[in-house]
Amino acid sequence: MTAQTVTTFEAFKATLKRDLLIAYKRKNDMVNPFMFFLIVASLFPIGISPDPDRLAEIASGVLWISALLASLLAMDNLFRSDYEDGSLEQLLLSPHPLYFLVLAKNISHWLVSGLPVALVSPLVAYMLNLPSESYFTLFITLLIGTPVLSLLGSIGVALTVGLGSRGLILAVITLPMSVPVLIAGTLTVQQTLNGASLAGYLAILAAMLFAAVSFAPLASAAALRISVN
Amino acid sequence: MWLWFSKLGSPKWFYELSGKWLPWLAAGMSLLLIVGIIWALLFVPPDYQQGDTIRIMYVHVPFASISLAFFPLMAVAGTITLVWRMKLADMVAKTAAPLGAWFTALALASGSIWGSDIWGTWWIWDGRLTSMLLQFFLLVGVISLRSAIEDADAAAKACALLAIVGCINVFVIKYSVDWWNTLHQPSGSFSLSDEAPNPPEVWVPLVIMIVAVYLFFVVSLILSTRNEILERERRSQWVQELIEAN
Repeated sequence: MTAQTVTTFEAFKATLKRDLLIAYKRKNDMVNPFMFFLIVASLFPIGISPDPDRLAEIASGVLWISALLASLLAMDNLFRSDYEDGSLEQLLLSPHPLYFLVLAKNISHWLVSGLPVALVSPLVAYMLNLPSESYFTLFITLLIGTPVLSLLGSIGVALTVGLGSRGLILAVITLPMSVPVLIAGTLTVQQTLNGASLAGYLAILAAMLFAAVSFAPLASAAALRISVN
Repeated sequence: MWLWFSKLGSPKWFYELSGKWLPWLAAGMSLLLIVGIIWALLFVPPDYQQGDTIRIMYVHVPFASISLAFFPLMAVAGTITLVWRMKLADMVAKTAAPLGAWFTALALASGSIWGSDIWGTWWIWDGRLTSMLLQFFLLVGVISLRSAIEDADAAAKACALLAIVGCINVFVIKYSVDWWNTLHQPSGSFSLSDEAPNPPEVWVPLVIMIVAVYLFFVVSLILSTRNEILERERRSQWVQELIEAN
C-alpha cells in the first residue's frame, strides 16, 4: 500500500471534519463549556456585588476569566476519548506531519468551545454592565484570544492524557501559562474605555495567536508521542 | 569533547567527581556566607532612605537572581534529556524543580518582608512579584506532573517538554506582566555597571552574598542529584559496593 495516497491537506480536512462530526453527535460536549461560561460569569455579580458601577469595573476581567475556565473545562475532551478508543494511536501512526493533525483537532475544538463563548460574550457583557462601546473590542479579543487558550491548553492535555487523575494537574500546568493572554485581552478591553488606540494591543494579541499556531501544535505533538506509547 | 560529554552522562562518574568537589564548594560557600552575612548585618552603613531595612537586600537579591536561573537550567537539562537521552540531565532537572520552588518561595518571602517596611504592605500586584509568583506556580506544575506520571522514562520526557515550554512562557509572562503593572524598583540600581549611587561598602558584600547563594544552590543541587543517583542506580554494582564499603 502506498502511504501517500492521501495528501496532508486532505488528512487535515478529514481530521477536522471527523472531530466536528463527533462534536455534533455529542451535543453535551458542545453545550457544556458554553453553559459553564454563562454560569461562572453570573456567579461574579452574586459573589461580589450587584451594583452596576462595580460590575462595570470588573466585567472585562470576569468575562475573560470565565472564558479561560470554560476553555480549561473543555480541554479534557480534546484527546481523551480518542486516547481511550485507540484512534489517537492511529493518528500518531499516520504518515502525515502530526503538526497538521493536531492543529486540525485544535481548530475543531475551538470551533465548538471557544467560538460560542466569543459569540455570546456581548450578551453577558451587557448583563455585567460593561460600557457598550467596548462590546465589539471584547468580542474581537475573545475571538483572537480563545484559540490561543485552546492551543496552549492542548499542550497540557497532551502531556496528561494518559494519567488517571489529570483534571487538577491540567489546571496547575495550563492556567499560569494563560496569563499573558489574559493580560493582553483585559488590557485591550480596558483600553477601549480609555478611548485610546487599540492597534498596538490587538497586534500583541494577534502576535500571540500566530506564535501559538506556529509552535503550540509542535509541542502538543511531541507531548502526545511521549504520553502514548 | 564528545568523550567528555559522554562521560558527563555517566552517573557514576558524576558521583565520584562531585564527591571530590563537594568539600571545597561547601567550604567556600560557608566562608562566603559567614563573611557576607556578618558584613551585611553589622558593618554596612544604614541606607539614608531605608535605614537598617536595606540589609534584607543582601538576602533578597541573591535569592531573586538565582530563582531566574531555574527555568533556563531545567530547559537546557530537558533538551539534553530529549535529544541525547542522558540520564544525568534528567536527574538534575528532577532535583532542580523542587529546589527552584523553594528558592522562588524564599525570594518572594524575603521580598515581602522587605516590602512590608518600605512599601508598607506585604504584597502588591506588581509586575515583578506577580511574575515570580507565576513562576512558582509553573514550577509546582512541573513537580506535580513529575509525581503524577508513574513511568520514570515518560515522566522524564514529559517534564523535559514542560520545562522547555515553561521556560519560553516565563519570559513571555515576565514581559506581559511588566507591561501590565510595574512598581518594583528596577534592578539596575543594584547592578555592578551602575556603581555611581552605590559605594563599594554597599555592593561588595552584596556580591559576596550573591556568590555565596549561588554556591549554596550548586551545593544543594549536587547533594540532591547525588541522592537521586543513588536511588536510581541502587541495583547497579558500584552503588552496592559503595554501600558495603560504608
